[in-house]
Amino acid sequence: MAGAGTIVRLEDAHLSYPSPEGEVPVLRGIELSVARGESVAVTGPSGSGKSSLIALVGGLERPTRGRVTVLDTELGAAPEHVRTRLRRRAIGVVFQAYHLVPAMTALENVALPLVLAGEADPTARARDLLEAVGLGHRMTHRPGALSGGEQQRVAIARAFVADPDLILADEPTGNLDQRTGGAIAERMFALAGETGAALVLVTHDPGLARRCDRTIRIDEGRILAEDGVEDDDRSAAPAAGEGASTHARLQARAS
Amino acid sequence: MLAFRLARPELSANLAGLALFVVSIAVGTALLTAVWVTGSVLLGAFERNGRAILGGDVEISVRGEPLVAETVAALEDLATVSRVVDLRSTVRAGDRSAPVELRAVDGAYPLYGEVGIEGPPLDDALGERDGAFGAVVAPALLARLGLEPGATARLGATEIAMAGLLRAEPDRLGSGAFMVGPRVLISGDALAAAELLAPGALAEFRYRLRRGEGVAPEAFRERLAALEPPRGWELRAPDDAAERIRRVVTRTTTFLGITGVVALAIALSAAWIAAGVWVRKRARTIALYRLSGAEPGIVAAQHAVILAIAAGAAVAAGALAGTGLALALAAPVGAFLPVSTAPGIVLPPVATAVATVLVGIAGAAIPTLAAAADIPPGAAMRTGETAPRARPWAMVAGGALFAGAVVAAVLRLPSLDLAARAAVWLVGATVVLALASAATSRAVAALRPRNFVLSAAVRGLTERRATTAKALAIGIGIAGITAVASVRASLDDALQAELPQRLPALVMIDVQPDQRDRIAALTAEVGATDFRAVPNLRANIVEVNGRPAREAVVDPSERWVVEGDRSLSWTGEATDQPLEAGDWWPAGYDGPPLLSIEEDVAEAFAVGPGDRMAYTVLGRRIEAEIVNVRVEEHRSFGPDFLLIGSPAPLAQAPHTWVATVEGPDAAIDALVGRLGEATPNVTAIDVRMLVAQVRTAIEGAGLATLAVAAVLLGVGALVVAAVVAADTDARSRESLVFSLVGASRREIVAARLAETAAIGLVAAIVGGAAGLIGGWWLADEALHIDWQPGIMAPILPLVLGILAALVAGATAGRGAVPRGRGELARRLST
Repeated sequence: MAGAGTIVRLEDAHLSYPSPEGEVPVLRGIELSVARGESVAVTGPSGSGKSSLIALVGGLERPTRGRVTVLDTELGAAPEHVRTRLRRRAIGVVFQAYHLVPAMTALENVALPLVLAGEADPTARARDLLEAVGLGHRMTHRPGALSGGEQQRVAIARAFVADPDLILADEPTGNLDQRTGGAIAERMFALAGETGAALVLVTHDPGLARRCDRTIRIDEGRILAEDGVEDDDRSAAPAAGEGASTHARLQARAS
Repeated sequence: MLAFRLARPELSANLAGLALFVVSIAVGTALLTAVWVTGSVLLGAFERNGRAILGGDVEISVRGEPLVAETVAALEDLATVSRVVDLRSTVRAGDRSAPVELRAVDGAYPLYGEVGIEGPPLDDALGERDGAFGAVVAPALLARLGLEPGATARLGATEIAMAGLLRAEPDRLGSGAFMVGPRVLISGDALAAAELLAPGALAEFRYRLRRGEGVAPEAFRERLAALEPPRGWELRAPDDAAERIRRVVTRTTTFLGITGVVALAIALSAAWIAAGVWVRKRARTIALYRLSGAEPGIVAAQHAVILAIAAGAAVAAGALAGTGLALALAAPVGAFLPVSTAPGIVLPPVATAVATVLVGIAGAAIPTLAAAADIPPGAAMRTGETAPRARPWAMVAGGALFAGAVVAAVLRLPSLDLAARAAVWLVGATVVLALASAATSRAVAALRPRNFVLSAAVRGLTERRATTAKALAIGIGIAGITAVASVRASLDDALQAELPQRLPALVMIDVQPDQRDRIAALTAEVGATDFRAVPNLRANIVEVNGRPAREAVVDPSERWVVEGDRSLSWTGEATDQPLEAGDWWPAGYDGPPLLSIEEDVAEAFAVGPGDRMAYTVLGRRIEAEIVNVRVEEHRSFGPDFLLIGSPAPLAQAPHTWVATVEGPDAAIDALVGRLGEATPNVTAIDVRMLVAQVRTAIEGAGLATLAVAAVLLGVGALVVAAVVAADTDARSRESLVFSLVGASRREIVAARLAETAAIGLVAAIVGGAAGLIGGWWLADEALHIDWQPGIMAPILPLVLGILAALVAGATAGRGAVPRGRGELARRLST
């Protein structure tokens, strides 16, 4: 799957965290490629390593073994400032917990990546994106004055503001009710479509996963299955089947 | 009690979060207690020991010659009389000599209090044995003469034996601060045998009286007044004796008291902030309690119990430490002053300090508890920032209690006038600080720098409320420290720079007229210079323009010029002292008596050239015409005379001269040695040694004020720590976001530093300005010294402010940037 169109490639990627009881393996030999403009859903039970996968691809953690290449940069070898630059320029991140700066207005939060990049007029582009997520009337509000859905829309606007090639989203609708979550996901997919950004989406929501080009399932740090590879038939993946198959595999391993 | 049951597990598990709160309160309480107990011990000693300090119910003193026998007999009818003669003299042993403060006492001495002696009791010690009179001497004399206890030394025409070491004199403070040498106590017989009381000798005869039991106070006073001889006498009551020292103590306790107020204010601010931080960190836990069905009241009560227990322990520890410190400080004072550390003296200030701090803590607790009670159960579900905020009423109530505690501390200052001014200064400084930081934040808000680091600094300053709080927290500490530092520099300057310049190296007293030429010749021989000798007499002013002097006083503040005898000299030619009015008599003038007066005398009677004044010298009355008024030269230890007459007829009166010389150390040492052989009756006072002693005292005082400043700095650091702690949580979240969107670690830390440095700069400038103004006020109004802040006072606040801010910034910045594998991922999911 490697090729000119590939912007994320994980080869035998391992990640473990130190703990008082020794190293705790979180990801064990992940193989994954994401093409330019592609959307990939990552599903799996809690603690399976989904968020760690995002941290790895976002350059927030270095693999303990294997290679993680994002936009031709091998992140395991890249020094801190290279990874920082990459994040600033090419990667947008959205989290379940919004992660907005409480002291900044919605507009300032969105403009932040551009300010960091030293952009001449960071607010113009930030304004456009806030309009695009439907928050044109809330620009001067601080996060404390915004609802959860609004905060997440600010976070999405921020993720897209620097025109990134890759969006990493970790349960972006996890804190929201279904209707709000759905509307927000809609915006995100629309923005990704418009900008041509690839999307790696960690989610528990089968409906959301179905909207992606393909779905990978992780458990205990390994990819268990990959559905809908290069497949137009996204709706074919059965919602109930995913949970059942994970469950079945877990049982199979236990026996 | 439900609140207690809920509080117990929290207490055992979570007191660490309150460490800053506890330390702030403990330090504040300790300082306030120490200051107040010290003040109470000192002032209490004066109030209860006025008689011991004076030496009697009343002390009558005359100079030159004793009271006539009939007067003394009349006094003895009225009261028990203790006779004391004070004079300066020299004790010699081998080739060494030392000037001493000689005091001859009778069997009735001391009427009040007790003499602390290492050796036999006073009466035994002063007796004659083997031809030598016993003496009780200050240990310094033995050191200076190289003698062992029991050894003998020469005093005038007799031998004295070092029979006991003087450890404590009850009337030490009453006899003046300026002593030319160690104290030597001898008997009246020894004084007579020493033959030191030549005519014109500068002896002071004191008669201490203990009123007879059958004599009513009113009658006692009237009958005493009737006994006053024409030459006048100086009569002092216990209050008079304590007055001068009381001023010093008032000054000291004021200085300490203001320090206490500042420390209290800073410590309470730290406690307030720390309590707020604690509740904010507990917000989620509190929400969980609320989820489990706890009403807001129960939450408030639970936290009240925890805060009360922590505060109680802190206050108790602080009060104990402060009391201990004050008692340790009181111990060395015992040599000068019969201090008492009885519970009745010590406990009231401790109780007041504890109560004051508790009121302040209640002020800090109310908004904290209100904020805790207001945390909704839903907060447990919410991710992201939870910042419980107290409602306005709680802030107002808390602020009122806080202010009440500070005002109570201000009211404890020795003088209400000072207290009012200090309060105005404190409030003014706070308001100015708050306004200035608010104004700065408003002004800065208009800036929109493109740079990430600069924009972080701007943003830090534009959160108006937080900026004001931080600038205040750091600024109050800086103001206090700057004020103390500038006062310290002024004190140093006043004492150190002004003293030595105007001082001769050696002062010789009791110089007989025929010894002048001899000493002048010796001076030239050893290589010393600037020999000057002036006649030294004592006079009583008795009449001004034909009116009795006491009735002629128009300026009550200068009344002292008619009370007792005053310094008088004569001169044949003009002196170099500047004149305020009139002219000198021509050189060689030999006509009717003319008089030059110092400005105090002119002010006392509103007289000047052309007016007439009569005075008595050694019982003889002289009437003279005033021809000029001299400007008083302050802080001069050289001979300084209130009255200077023309030569006739004073030159014929029996009197001694005072001589001064200057020159290199070796020459002065040689001169002192030669004087011992050539003119044994002359007492040479080595001013260099006195200056060295004064320097040591100044350095001690400097160390003490430095210690005070250091403590303030420490308390200020607590506030900074509290401010940092308040920020760390929010900041680490923010930094996480920064690093997510592509800020490097260096950029994040730089942004944090820029932000706090900006706040530190505001705090430094405003706090420093407030401190300088406060220091000027302290120096000028409270201590009455020239304000010489020196170079340190303006630099100190800048350095401290920026340092405090940088430490705060570095700590917050460092703690905020995620480090280590897994840390980032862990934080992301919360």
